[in-house]
Amino acid sequence: MTTTSHHDAPLGPGVSGSSDDPRVALDRDLGVFEPVPPYPPRTEREAEFYTLADGQLLINMGPQHPSTHGVLRVVLKLDGERVVDLDPVLGYLHRGVEKLCENADYHHVISQVDPLEYVSSLFNEWAPVMAFEQLLDVQVPRRAEYIRVLSGELNRIASHSLFLGWMALDLGGLTPILWSFIERDEIVELLASLTGQRMLFNYFRIGGVNGDLNHDFMSRLGDWMGRATEQIDAGMSLLNENEIFVRRMRDLGTIDTAQALRMCFSGPNLRATGVPFDVRRAHPYSVYPELDFDIPTRAEGDSLARYLLRMDEVRQSLRIIDQCLHQMPDGPIMAKVPRLLRPRPGRAYAAVEAPRGQYATYAISDGTHQPFRMRIHDPSFIHLQAVGPLMEGHLIADTMAIMASLDPIMGGVDK
Amino acid sequence: MTVISRGWGRLTLPGKLVFTLVPLLLAVTVGLVAAIVLLGAPLVAVLTDNLPIVRFVVAVTIVLLMTIPTAFLIIYMEMKIIALMNLRIGPDRVGPFGSLLSVVHGLKVLMKEDFTPTGADATVFTWAPVVVYLASVMTLLVIPFAPGLYGQDMNIGLLYFFAISGLGVVGLLMGGWSSYNKYSLLGGLRSAAQVISYEIPLTLSVVGVILLAGTMSLNAIVENQSGWFTDWYVFQQPLGALIFFIAATAEANRTPFDLTEADSEIVAGFATEYSGMRFGFFFFAEYVNVFIMSALTVTLFFGGWNAPFPWPFETGVAIDLASLGIGLLLLVAIAPVALTLLFAAPFWIASTRLKGWHALIIGFVLANLFIVGLLGAWAYVELDWVAGILWFMLKTYVFVFIFVWMRGTLPRVRIDQLMDFAWKWLMELAFLNIFITAAAIIIVEQLRS
Repeated sequence: MTTTSHHDAPLGPGVSGSSDDPRVALDRDLGVFEPVPPYPPRTEREAEFYTLADGQLLINMGPQHPSTHGVLRVVLKLDGERVVDLDPVLGYLHRGVEKLCENADYHHVISQVDPLEYVSSLFNEWAPVMAFEQLLDVQVPRRAEYIRVLSGELNRIASHSLFLGWMALDLGGLTPILWSFIERDEIVELLASLTGQRMLFNYFRIGGVNGDLNHDFMSRLGDWMGRATEQIDAGMSLLNENEIFVRRMRDLGTIDTAQALRMCFSGPNLRATGVPFDVRRAHPYSVYPELDFDIPTRAEGDSLARYLLRMDEVRQSLRIIDQCLHQMPDGPIMAKVPRLLRPRPGRAYAAVEAPRGQYATYAISDGTHQPFRMRIHDPSFIHLQAVGPLMEGHLIADTMAIMASLDPIMGGVDK
Repeated sequence: MTVISRGWGRLTLPGKLVFTLVPLLLAVTVGLVAAIVLLGAPLVAVLTDNLPIVRFVVAVTIVLLMTIPTAFLIIYMEMKIIALMNLRIGPDRVGPFGSLLSVVHGLKVLMKEDFTPTGADATVFTWAPVVVYLASVMTLLVIPFAPGLYGQDMNIGLLYFFAISGLGVVGLLMGGWSSYNKYSLLGGLRSAAQVISYEIPLTLSVVGVILLAGTMSLNAIVENQSGWFTDWYVFQQPLGALIFFIAATAEANRTPFDLTEADSEIVAGFATEYSGMRFGFFFFAEYVNVFIMSALTVTLFFGGWNAPFPWPFETGVAIDLASLGIGLLLLVAIAPVALTLLFAAPFWIASTRLKGWHALIIGFVLANLFIVGLLGAWAYVELDWVAGILWFMLKTYVFVFIFVWMRGTLPRVRIDQLMDFAWKWLMELAFLNIFITAAAIIIVEQLRS
């Protein structure tokens, strides 16, 4: 076989070029079930990528692959089992949330951004709410801030325990995901008793939170805090001592500090390369300056370090929750905010430390009741840049392990 | 004719049934009697003349039929045990504790549409599951389940086993190649690489046993291990047993070596495009393979059908039933009633709220269990093959449990780690094992002479 290109593949007579049309696939010559776009190459990169050398094959991983963490499609160019080149294709979950937010009034934005990163929804609400509070000059009551921190850290633990399970599942372990789902489910039920929803909480408000701590939540939380450390250790013990797991994760997908910074990494993925950057400390917000917690870092920058770092963070989150419960002041949970918000024209930027990194919102107000522009900076999208450089040269099995250790959520990537 | 039709019309449904079935049964009976009288003797003569062939056909049929309940049982075991390890409940709807779920799965698989994807090589695609399934079933033929209970006693039994189980990979490769799917292709090629690599340590690891036993007949190997459990080859070949079990895991494509159908990497490997009963055959073959690999581990290293200790008592139940005469009739008539009453009495006395007939039912059940237990104990002591199959199945299912346990606990290895492990570790260790065994045999012979 010599160098071939699939662009000159004949389309059937009178058939439109849509690759989604099943008739197109059937009318084509059988050799063209390739993940090749139905148009001639537009850039040099496209031409190079879709031209196969001898013995190479293109394989379409996703958007319906069992382990792509949502609907990411990665076109892999393989030489045997080894990935020579790859092309991530995004946008299968694009819902136009940023545009929807521009057509909703300020209160409605909260429910619009909820389903972005659907495993850590409270942080999706937190950043826009903080930005709008800056626009409006609203002072949030301290009790509300503590409740935000408390529920946010709970959500962080839920997100990280889900990460543990998914990563183990991508490596072929069946048990950890169910163990970590038990923990996540307990937290989700906890948050449901506080916010009324299990996943898309719609809890934070501009100027406070929607509901005060209730008896149900507090009794469940006390119950759970007693066992939390044990449960997390049990889930980790399935993996940490496992030779197969450690051998597969160590020195896999290593990214050095300079490259991570150049790619604008943040969150656990950056801290795993040794940079102690955490928005909670670097640009303090809410009541984090009053709380005592460490920022764990690891020097290795490989997949194992990313995993272990997230587990360290869970322990710090437990510390924060404990302090929140002890320092929780009395008082109101909502500032006095009018029903219809018309902030003065201006712009505001607010960032929070979400489980996956720096989650930020940039909002521009033109004085009307709707944000003029609203942009969301999502850490998953940033981390997905690294997929290309990290996966190249690895085996198919490792691509999934690297993807899992970067922990992107496609809901946030595609917005 | 009108009389008959009018009479037929007046009959009710049971009447119609009786008037149809009775003449039919009469005719069949007469025919059978005539056939037996006329053909019976010659037929029996033909069968006895060709006893090996008859035995072979019967054995093949039984082995083929045996795979289905075995696969069902192991599938259920896997579902339930992994569920318990995952802190789930697992199947609990169909049958007691969900035990019939795998039967329902089987029916579902039978009823599903069975299609061939566009572009697939239909012939190869269709025959791939057959090859895989037959390769695993045919290996069951040489496994000795109990004294005298085996399909075929070959003096090259072990060689036959490796030859036939190696055929299975051809089926996997056929399925992967013909599906017209790149994931299938990768799965098929992975399975070829993996199974062929692991066949080498698998075969080398049993050379030690062959040297010790001096034969490749599985029956002879099992008989060599009779006596106390210390005579099992696992105590003389611990390294060989370990290598064999690891390589067998890879041969059966089980976790942590289930790369051929790694769902998080290549969707379902060679089985991606299969549906319906064709997929069912792949699925069955996998679990039959688990059983076979466990059975072979037991046969080679854990004494096969031998009990771990010889029966310590002199047994001989010397009851000549004919000598009882009329007493036998009385025994048969009275014993069930007496036992029922005996077992019912404590319940009736102990609980005032229990109705008399409830106590009688409990007594009846217990009496039956008692009699069955008594018969079983008698059979265990008196019949070699009952004890043999009991121990064999017990040991085999311990290893099946270990396979399931590994599936619940371990993540998957990577393909290069898998290959490294086979070629850089297992093969060298297997050679070392052969060397040590041979040297030990020579030294022991020198010392003895």
